[in-house]
Amino acid sequence: MHSRWTWRILSLPGVAWLSIFFLVAFYAVLSVAFGNQDTLSLPVPFWNPLDWNVGYVLDALRNFWHGGPFLIVFARTIKFVVIAMVLSIALGYPVAYFAARHAGRWKGLVLVALIVPFWINYLMRMLAWINLLAPDGLGTKVLHHLGIERAFLWLGLLAEPGGWLNGQPTTVILALLYGYIPFLILPLFAALDRIDQRQIEAARDLGASPLGAFLRVTLPLSVPGILAGTVLVALPMFGDYYTADLVSASTQTNMIGNQIDEFMRQGSEKVTGAVLTMLLALLLLVLMFYYLRSTRQAGAEASTA
Amino acid sequence: MQGEIRLEELTKSFDGVVAVDGIDLRMPPGEFFTMLGPSGCGKTTTLRMIAGFERPTSGRIMLDGSDVARVPPHKRSVNTVFQSYALFPHLDVAGNVAFGLKYLKLTKEERTRRVGEALELVNLGGFARRKASQLSGGQQQRVALARALVLRPRVLLLDEPLGALDARLRKNLQVELKALQAELGITFVFVTHDQEEALTMSDRIAVMNEGSVEQAGAPREVYEEPRTLFVADFLGVSNLLAAEAVGADGDACSVRVGERTFRARQGSTEARGDVKVMIRPERIAIEPYATSGDNRLPGMVERSVFLGGSHEVHVRVLGGELLKATVANDGKPPAVALEGGEAVSLYLPPDGLRVLAAGEPRRDDGPAERTP
Amino acid sequence: MSWLRNPWGRPRWLAVVTVLYILWSVLPVVLAIVFAFNKGRSRTTWQGFSFRWFTGSTGSVFHDPALQGALKHTLLLAVVCVAIATPLGVSLALGLQRWRGRGSGTVNTLMLLPLVTPEIVMGVALLLLFLRVFPEIGLGTTAQVIGQVTFTLSYVVVIVRGRLTSIGPEYEEAAADLGAPPRDQLGRVLLPLLAPAIVAAAAVAFAVSIDDFVVTQYLSSDASTTTVSMLLYATARGAPTPALNAIATVALVITLATLSLAFLVYKRFAGGKEAATLAALEV
Repeated sequence: MHSRWTWRILSLPGVAWLSIFFLVAFYAVLSVAFGNQDTLSLPVPFWNPLDWNVGYVLDALRNFWHGGPFLIVFARTIKFVVIAMVLSIALGYPVAYFAARHAGRWKGLVLVALIVPFWINYLMRMLAWINLLAPDGLGTKVLHHLGIERAFLWLGLLAEPGGWLNGQPTTVILALLYGYIPFLILPLFAALDRIDQRQIEAARDLGASPLGAFLRVTLPLSVPGILAGTVLVALPMFGDYYTADLVSASTQTNMIGNQIDEFMRQGSEKVTGAVLTMLLALLLLVLMFYYLRSTRQAGAEASTA
Repeated sequence: MQGEIRLEELTKSFDGVVAVDGIDLRMPPGEFFTMLGPSGCGKTTTLRMIAGFERPTSGRIMLDGSDVARVPPHKRSVNTVFQSYALFPHLDVAGNVAFGLKYLKLTKEERTRRVGEALELVNLGGFARRKASQLSGGQQQRVALARALVLRPRVLLLDEPLGALDARLRKNLQVELKALQAELGITFVFVTHDQEEALTMSDRIAVMNEGSVEQAGAPREVYEEPRTLFVADFLGVSNLLAAEAVGADGDACSVRVGERTFRARQGSTEARGDVKVMIRPERIAIEPYATSGDNRLPGMVERSVFLGGSHEVHVRVLGGELLKATVANDGKPPAVALEGGEAVSLYLPPDGLRVLAAGEPRRDDGPAERTP
Repeated sequence: MSWLRNPWGRPRWLAVVTVLYILWSVLPVVLAIVFAFNKGRSRTTWQGFSFRWFTGSTGSVFHDPALQGALKHTLLLAVVCVAIATPLGVSLALGLQRWRGRGSGTVNTLMLLPLVTPEIVMGVALLLLFLRVFPEIGLGTTAQVIGQVTFTLSYVVVIVRGRLTSIGPEYEEAAADLGAPPRDQLGRVLLPLLAPAIVAAAAVAFAVSIDDFVVTQYLSSDASTTTVSMLLYATARGAPTPALNAIATVALVITLATLSLAFLVYKRFAGGKEAATLAALEV
């Protein structure tokens, strides 16, 4: 019908665009990371791999290796991300489960409520919390009156009363949770929704209790969804800097994203910034490809189901 | 000649899997030709090649003498009715039917006239403004028909068009389609897996299996004189018995079934050695046990299935096979009791007993001519 | 399904958790919107209802040059981004969907990569690209548009492809069968059927562009290239007025209106809200 070339020609503009503005851009990162800095402290990329200067990369790696500031920041990033992730799953799974399996006639409405955060500007959502957690904010007052503030103070999760926005790791973690949990809930919802009700009915029919059916049928079947959602959340969280900037504004809570941001936009160490970006990307590459492969598998499974 | 199709050594393979294996078929002009077979036998692939949606790996598709195998589908004067109708959702019925008329260079009046005619032809006179989603399955199918026929193709291809309809609607439409074809005189090439449908509607049937044509011929011929085990089994109930062909007996073949000898006049009467013999259920006569005479086989009734117009009686014979016999329901009690456990004798008339050579079923490699 | 609702009342606490989650998720933003209508300057104490931060007085969204400029620039970027990304994306979607054979897998992966790449990595990469590879273009509006198109492209492709998959090859085959040449198969049949998805994809690209932050910030040059997101980031911790809430609200309304419109168009012409949900799930 159509010639074989029709499709390749149609793809050409898009592919060309992505090649230039995506692939070449990445190569620019590599070239700068393995490049140098000129007298004006501007980065000089070395385009030819044979000319690559490993100096800056080695410096950075040494910094990590010897427990320097980079390692501290990186360790802190991992800590924040992991805690936020665990909290996301703990809160997100029940919500996704309810929406997928028990919402009944409210399902549509609940789904809309779950989707809406995607379309609200992330920064507006953070702005909302800044308003609430300001020393005279509504949120601060409520937390104080409910005794939660006292509990947090006692647990060492808060440094001083009303100081939610003063360089508190707790606030950053909770903000990350708030910001990214929708990215977990939706894929999880999709995975749970896909589970055939009849499999659960079969388990019940064979004698499993509701909890048993959940643990032995639903939960295992939802694991791919959990993994996919986790990766989908981890990727942006690792590179986040604006959340910490907005709710903390202290270098005490710097994540690796903040470090890179400082180098690239505020400082004169763009080469080191590029190096860190490259290292971060390499680390996350593994996660990225895992996610791509799992969605393709899910797509194949869905079409054979 | 208008609307004659010849497939010559037509082959199609997908990634090394052969879907259509070098078939030769002739579809005479003006006939209702059916390709019959189970899923995966290659009938739909063949149809799609005739339509132009698949390019043959090798072979020729001759439409009235010219090879169209490499001609794109929009340039062939062959039209298709799809299994799922494929009515354009964004156009109404009239828009759908008129779609192909744009390429025929007609005046606007002629187009309108033809659309009206086509809709009348399929009994959908007042439906011009409706949308496809507002129509029932049967109505959608008619629109698909009208859409194809309005272009006055030489050949109409139908890909299991009645598959999605309920039994009664199917029966009605079968009759209508057959009448339509007779009235228009266009060659219809029909694909189905339903042997009853094929027998009802066709002038000629090609039975296909695993990419090859097992047999092609008129319905009566294919049913009464199946050439291979597959064809015998696919069309109706076949009642097979393992036997040994031991020699000639006049114009018949002498076969031993267990301890008994039978005369079989049909099929490969010259074969010797291990064979299968086949008889159709309606040819078996059920007689009281121990009736004397040739060609009789004792057995025991296992059950009798009431089909409304007839009984299908399942009889277990000595060799262990289960034979099914048809006994017409004429309202009177049957001559022999047909309950389970009853011992009976089955008369297998020599004219109804067909010898099929056992082992590899002989493929029907006959040339394109298949004159009845 | 009442037998699943066992006597322990398990679903009930699930419902409670869900409701609490939704409230926690939505309430802060609702409050921020409410305070955009505050009469006084406070963002934390209610002082009465007023539109002053939207229009009418100085410092309001429609009168303050900085705020107005940001809003205009945001919309400018969004419109140009959609204008480029949509045809590019539809073309790529068509090509990818039908492409059998070598290379299609690689191109598919390339197309999906921007969706999973963390924003800061994209931002840094594009920054260096426009500093060192295309210094003639440099930073600024053009760079911002190009950067935005680069990742909104993927959204368009995914949405359009989803619809292409459910449309299937049949209608074009039918069109060809009836005599339509390949050009008409696309133009008279496929594109009309695809139109709702194209509209939906454009709307999504529009919304994504409006809300974008990192890439837009990294590729900005001076104050004239500030967007609403950048403004929120820069001013949130300062001592801003509710005008900030107001401009955020305006952007939100625009986004939600666009998406609702697209959702309705899609539902009306393509059928099934699962289709639109699917589109959102791709995010």
